[in-house]
Formats: sequence, structure tokens, C-alpha cells
Amino acid sequence: MDFDWTEQETAFRDRLRRLLADTLPDDWERFSQHGPASPALTKFAESFCGTLAEQGLLIPHWPEALGGQGLDPWHQTILAEEMWIAGEPRGGQYMNVNWIGPTLIRYGSPDQQARYLPPIAEGKALWCQGFSEPGSGSDLASLRTRAERDGDTYRVNGQKIWTSYAGLADTCFLVCRTSDDRKRGISILLVPMDTPGITVRQIPSLIGEGDIHEVFFDDVTVPVTARLGDEGQAWEIIGYSLTNERLGIPRYALARAALDRAVAVLKAQSEFDGEAVKIEAAHAAALAEAARMASYAIVDRRAKGEAIGAESSSARFATVMAERRVCEFIVEYLPEALADAHPYLKMHHQRGIVAGIAAGAAEIQLNIIATDVLKLPREPR
Amino acid sequence: MDLSLTDDQVAILDAIDTLSRPYAGASLHEAGFALPDAQLDRDLAEGGFLDIGFDPDLGAVSAALVVERLARLPQTVEAAASALIRPLLGDDLPRPLCLVEEGRTTRPVRFLREGATVLLVGPSGVSTFTATAAQVRAEAQALYGYPMATLLDVPTDRTSHAIPASQVLTRWRIALAAEAAGLLAAALDSTVAHVTDRQQFGRSLATFQALRHRLAEAQVRANGVRWLALKAAATLNPGDAALAALHAQESARATVYDFHQFFGAMGVTLEHPLHLWTYRLKALIGDLRGRGGQALAAAEALWG
Repeated sequence: MDFDWTEQETAFRDRLRRLLADTLPDDWERFSQHGPASPALTKFAESFCGTLAEQGLLIPHWPEALGGQGLDPWHQTILAEEMWIAGEPRGGQYMNVNWIGPTLIRYGSPDQQARYLPPIAEGKALWCQGFSEPGSGSDLASLRTRAERDGDTYRVNGQKIWTSYAGLADTCFLVCRTSDDRKRGISILLVPMDTPGITVRQIPSLIGEGDIHEVFFDDVTVPVTARLGDEGQAWEIIGYSLTNERLGIPRYALARAALDRAVAVLKAQSEFDGEAVKIEAAHAAALAEAARMASYAIVDRRAKGEAIGAESSSARFATVMAERRVCEFIVEYLPEALADAHPYLKMHHQRGIVAGIAAGAAEIQLNIIATDVLKLPREPR
Repeated sequence: MDLSLTDDQVAILDAIDTLSRPYAGASLHEAGFALPDAQLDRDLAEGGFLDIGFDPDLGAVSAALVVERLARLPQTVEAAASALIRPLLGDDLPRPLCLVEEGRTTRPVRFLREGATVLLVGPSGVSTFTATAAQVRAEAQALYGYPMATLLDVPTDRTSHAIPASQVLTRWRIALAAEAAGLLAAALDSTVAHVTDRQQFGRSLATFQALRHRLAEAQVRANGVRWLALKAAATLNPGDAALAALHAQESARATVYDFHQFFGAMGVTLEHPLHLWTYRLKALIGDLRGRGGQALAAAEALWG
């Protein structure tokens, strides 16, 4: 067992930190409060991702043949940590490079790859994921948005909701129903968001401006060539996507960074001298570091090409515990942070609140752990 | 970073499993509150398993893995302090090695008995002595899963060790976390087996979400304690060690009553071995001034 970073990994992290220090504007911390999906940050992300692309830091984990450097999952983790700690200056583009691109590489047709991969690799694309529906959140397989085949096209009707980035996205990774079979009746369409019949309405949110939306599909005509993979292959493709995004955002890293920042503020104000505040801070740090190690155990398996199992749900839930404890610490000991005194901590709080909801509810993670890690018999349905 | 066990570590753990297999299958019907096993202790000592931490090539991580694996057994032996702290002191000190914090010498001590080595650690430094019969009062009725005794007298004539107390405290915390990781895993496994087998309302208890989610949370905690313990063993960093021990004590607190709860009335009998793991966890919760003590040590190490 070796818990040290290699020299190459340390140099990679240092390089990222230097780039962030050199590239982010002086008022970045206040600016990043707009949220990853806000118009302001999305616009900034275009230039920032362009810079990353020029320096080979946007898709370093992609295969060399597609413009990447074939770097291993540890480098991908370091990249994700440093970006998320910094307030995610890539905006919604982190999703493109993490899982949409790799999924297109695996399942996309040559035409789809030629059309969609270069803009992602250049930092010029913004995708949204059309997964949840009003009646289908955790129970994704119950989705009802329908794609009816009509010759060489599909006619799509239905509604998606809580869709991140939809307001500014150029393409939707749309999961929709092509037959009545619960899971084998689901397909994926790659739909340009300017297709007639698509209506996007922003939903005011706690996360920040422009983050979540309703998306309506009214007789939207999509060519059959826009289907990713075969009809009915969506469940398999989503499963593959999740292996690339299984751990999701490295929230433990921002949780720990925000905690350290909060402690620094309290120390500067001579308010980190009582036992109670120190004990609470340490509890939060322990949870953040436990989540970090649980996540690293999964990265280690990915780096060795081993199958990623349900243990990733354990790492996800550990991260939820850490995020909540750090948020609680800040609310209790530095309440002015949620006003406007400390933009970095406010940014953390806005994003931390969704840790147990986004990308698979915490309760679903617990179900997966119970069934697939502990091997408990399933609940009756 | 490489988080896989080395070939040597796999071989060591396999050897422990082979050695302990007869003990793991022993009848536990009349186990009582504690289940010390002198033969197991001798087997481990003769096999060199408690000396692994002396080997620089294997080091504290391998020692922590040994401690974690042994803690899963229903029987208990003094392994944690011997495996992780004795390498600081030398291998000529008689076992068991009993840890006592300066200023807390009247608290019950695990494995304390006549002839044991008592290690006293605190601001005055690190010292040891061999306990005499007159200095020890066995606590036969103690509600812990270890043999416990109270130290009646701390002699002034002790052997001083020229090592910083902080090093001993760091390794104590790592030993605590490694042992707790094994205890949590064993208690969780035992509870999972029970709720899977036990039928109520015509179905397995394990199919009720009220239990499933709490057990899943226990898995998350046990996993975290194990990784923090191993990382701290690798770095020997005081902050890592304090966080590992804090997470261990907090996770013990958060889970032990649930484990008994899920056993129902079976969970308050001595006919099932669950208490051997949970009541050891309860003993560990009080080490080094409990969670508050670990949290303050962590805060000091992390933020000064």
C-alpha cells in the first residue's frame, strides 16, 4: 500500500494551481457565486476551457488519438479536485469532458463523434442531460418522454425537469422511451437545443442562477441518426456513463477546503479558541477525509482497470455526510458567510446543499449499499 | 498511490486466517462478557504476527492490517499496542502492553494483570513498568469485551524511554482506529447475517428499509474508519492519526446501539457473540479522553 502521490501527480496538481492562480480574475470568488450554470460563469468558462484546451488540460484523460494524453484516473481526479475547489471555472463543461465525451467515444457513430467531440475538446460545447421527469426522479426507468418512430425521424413529446444547464446548452443528452419495456424500451437521442418544439423554462433555485430548468418537448422532430447506440440500449449506455461519473464531483475536496477557509477566518477573528468550535471542526474534517479515502479507493480500482462496484455508492454517501457537516459548521460558527461576508463559503454552501440529491439521491446510494455491498435481500416491490 | 495490499500483506493476512480458523469456529454459547484466549495469544506471538511492525519493510501499515484482522475474531488478544506501539520501545518488554494516559491512571485498563508491561504516556514523557499483583485489581464484573483491571498504584521507579510522547499518542490513535475498524466490520457482518436470517411479518428483517439504510450507513462508517486508520499508519502523521481515532470513536458511538437494536431481544443475551465486538468498541470510545480528546488533538494538528 502506498498513500503518496507520485512526483508526476504532484507536478500536475502544481501546474493546475499555477494556471488557476494566473487565469482566474481577481474577483473570482465573488464571481463564482453565480453558479456553474449561470450566464456569467458559462461565458467565462468558454474562454477558460479554451485556455485549458490550449494547454492540454481540458481532456488530458481522453485517448491520445482523440486529442487527450491518456492520463490515468488519478490525474483525472486531481484535475476534478482542483477545479471544484476553485469553484469550477469550467462551468457546465466539466460534464462534457467527464462523461459525455467518453460515452460518445464508446457508443457514438463516426458522424456523431466527428460532430460532437471536437467542440468538447476545444471547450466550446455545453450539454445538458435530459434525465429526470416530473414523475421520474430516482425511479428513472419510469420515464415517459416518448420518441415515436416515423420513417427516418423520431417525434419526441414529453417533459424533463431539474435539468442543469438547459438554458444555455447547445445539445441535450436525452433519455426517452421508444417502447413500453421498462428498461429495454429506453433510448438516447442527441438533440440540438435549437430544434423547433423545445421550450426551456428556468426554475429558481438555491444553487445559483440558471442552474435548473424544465424542458418541454412538443412534437420535436429528431433524425434517427441522432440516436446514440441502438434502440433500447440506453440503460446499458447510462451504466457505462456512470462508470465514468460514478464518483461524480469530488465534493469532499471543496468541503475540506471550505472548512479550512472557515477555520482561517475564525482564527483571524480570534473565534477559534474554544473547545466546542474546535471539536466541531475536527468532526467535519474527519468526515471529509473519510470520504476522500473512500473515493480514492474507487479511483485506485479504476486506475487498475478493475470493475467499479457498489462501493462507489459508499464513497458517495460518505461525501454527503461530509458536505452536511461542513455546511452545519459554517452555519453555526460563521453565519455571516451565508450573507455575503465570505463569498467562497457562500459558494460552498450553495453547492453543498445538493450533495445528497444531484446525480442519484442519497437514499438510492443507501439502497445500493444494502443490496450490493452488504448483500441484504431486496425489499419487496 | 496504490491502495492494494502487497503480496506480503496478502500472505500475512492469509496466514492469520489460517491460524485463527479454529478459533473463529469455536462455540461461543458461554463466552461471557470478555473472551480472552491465551492459546491464540501464544500462537500469534510465536508466529511473529505481533512483531511485524518491527520490520521496516512491512511497517505500521502491515501491523495495522494485522490488528484490524484480529479484531474481527470473537476472542480477544492484546495485539494493537504490541503490534503498533512496541516497535517504538523495543521487543524485550513483556506482553501484554497496557496503555495508560498520565492523569487518567485510575481508569480501567485493557489486559492489565500481574506481569504486564504498563506504558504511561503524557506530558512527563514515556515510561514503563512491570505490574505487580499488588498494583492490580481485576475488574471481573466490567461491562467490556476485554479483560480489564484497575491500576492501584503507579510506582515512581519506572523505565524512561527517550521517545516523544507525541509519537506514542499518534500510534495509540492508529492502533485504536485499526482495532475499531475490525470490530465494526465484525459487528456489522454479524448483524447483517442476523437480519437476513430472522423472519418477522413473513419476511426477512433485512427487507425493511428502516434497517437497511442504517446498516448501509454503518458500512459507510466502517469503511471510512478502515481507510483512515491505514492512511494514518502509512503517514504516522499526528493529524491523520487523530482524525482516524476520532472517526473510529464517533462511528462506534453511532452504530453500537443500532447493532443490538436490530438483534431485538437476542441482542441483550449473552448467547450471541455480538457484544464481544460492540462492548469492545464501547471500551475504545473512552480512550484518550474520548471523541473530544481526539477532536482537540486533530484541531491542534490541522490548524494549530
